[in-house]
Amino acid sequence: MVGSNRTVLGNGIVHVVGDAHVSPEEEKAVRRKLVEKALEVLKSEAK
Amino acid sequence: MRVVHYLNQFFGGVGGEEKAGAPLEVREGAVGPGLLLEQLLGADAKVVMTLICGDNYAVENQEELIDSALEKIREAKPDLFVAGPCFQAGRYGMASGALGSIVQSKLDIPVVTAMSEENPGVDLYREALYIIDSGTNAAKMRDVLARMASLAVKLMSKGEIGLPKEEGYLPRGLIRDRFVEQTAAERLVVMVLAKVKGEPFESEMMPTTFAPIPMPPALKDLSKAKVMLITDGGLVPKGNPDRIQGSAATRWGSYKIASCDDLKGEDYEISHGGYDPQFVRQDPDRLVPLDVMRELEREGAIGKLHDEFISTSGLANPLSNTRRMGREMAERVKQLGIDAVILTST
Repeated sequence: MVGSNRTVLGNGIVHVVGDAHVSPEEEKAVRRKLVEKALEVLKSEAK
Repeated sequence: MRVVHYLNQFFGGVGGEEKAGAPLEVREGAVGPGLLLEQLLGADAKVVMTLICGDNYAVENQEELIDSALEKIREAKPDLFVAGPCFQAGRYGMASGALGSIVQSKLDIPVVTAMSEENPGVDLYREALYIIDSGTNAAKMRDVLARMASLAVKLMSKGEIGLPKEEGYLPRGLIRDRFVEQTAAERLVVMVLAKVKGEPFESEMMPTTFAPIPMPPALKDLSKAKVMLITDGGLVPKGNPDRIQGSAATRWGSYKIASCDDLKGEDYEISHGGYDPQFVRQDPDRLVPLDVMRELEREGAIGKLHDEFISTSGLANPLSNTRRMGREMAERVKQLGIDAVILTST
């Protein structure tokens, strides 16, 4: 639902969970951080 | 006027919830509400056939129901098809809407049904069909049938159909041309003045409404959870086996990732006309984060990653369509016993 805390802001439309402007290692770290954040909000009560 | 009428097991007199599994049954003549309907439609109207089907059977075997019902209806050579009224019965509404829209498009005859506004069938079929607003109270059967009959007669005689409020059907979201006395700017000022004075006024736009959907509770322990990845970014295996459209998609697909730790660009393509796909084409993990999910699975941060991901293309799609697909995906996810979904959206 719009405005819900179960939404995580991705890193741009063209690579929601990626970053084409950094090294592959750094990109994976970016992705991991976003996914970990997603897992975190799954553990929080919805608002 | 030859009429075919569709009823669920309850209104067809077969039985209550215990008979919801009853398969399609064909009867000659009018049954239950059909008797009154026939009367209200006028002296030359005859309900030649009544189709009765259990609510569960209808939604669980929808394709089969449509195929066999359509054949029966075609044989009956009707001039009009009526389904319901369904009031707030969701499965009845879904079946009536599905049958009504297929009859309308395949047999090219007028179709009328009736539901309460909250019926899930309304969401899916209000654009395609004339759905009389039945309210939720089945005791109003006579009123509802009278409105259905009056609209049906107009449709049959190809008379002009009035606005939703005049005829009593639910707004279909259609825009029609009309001559008006005042320009848009003038109408707007009149409306604003009415609003300031606290007088009643009516907007010319039908705002999209979203009923609040209760959110699932938080997961306490992700280390035991089965997690699934879904995307609306249009990622599909090379060749797009389900032919998912890149715009206004009507389909979604489910794709195996069981023995895969990292999505490779050469195995996939993007069917989505709404963003520059070059980066995801290079590395699909930028849309469907499989590599990282596998790491987290190995580390025990999540219990298990489901061995398929679901994909469709989320672009320029009517709500009726996306609501249907969302419902279908949710059913699948529930069936599979998935505890949590991460949905990546472009």
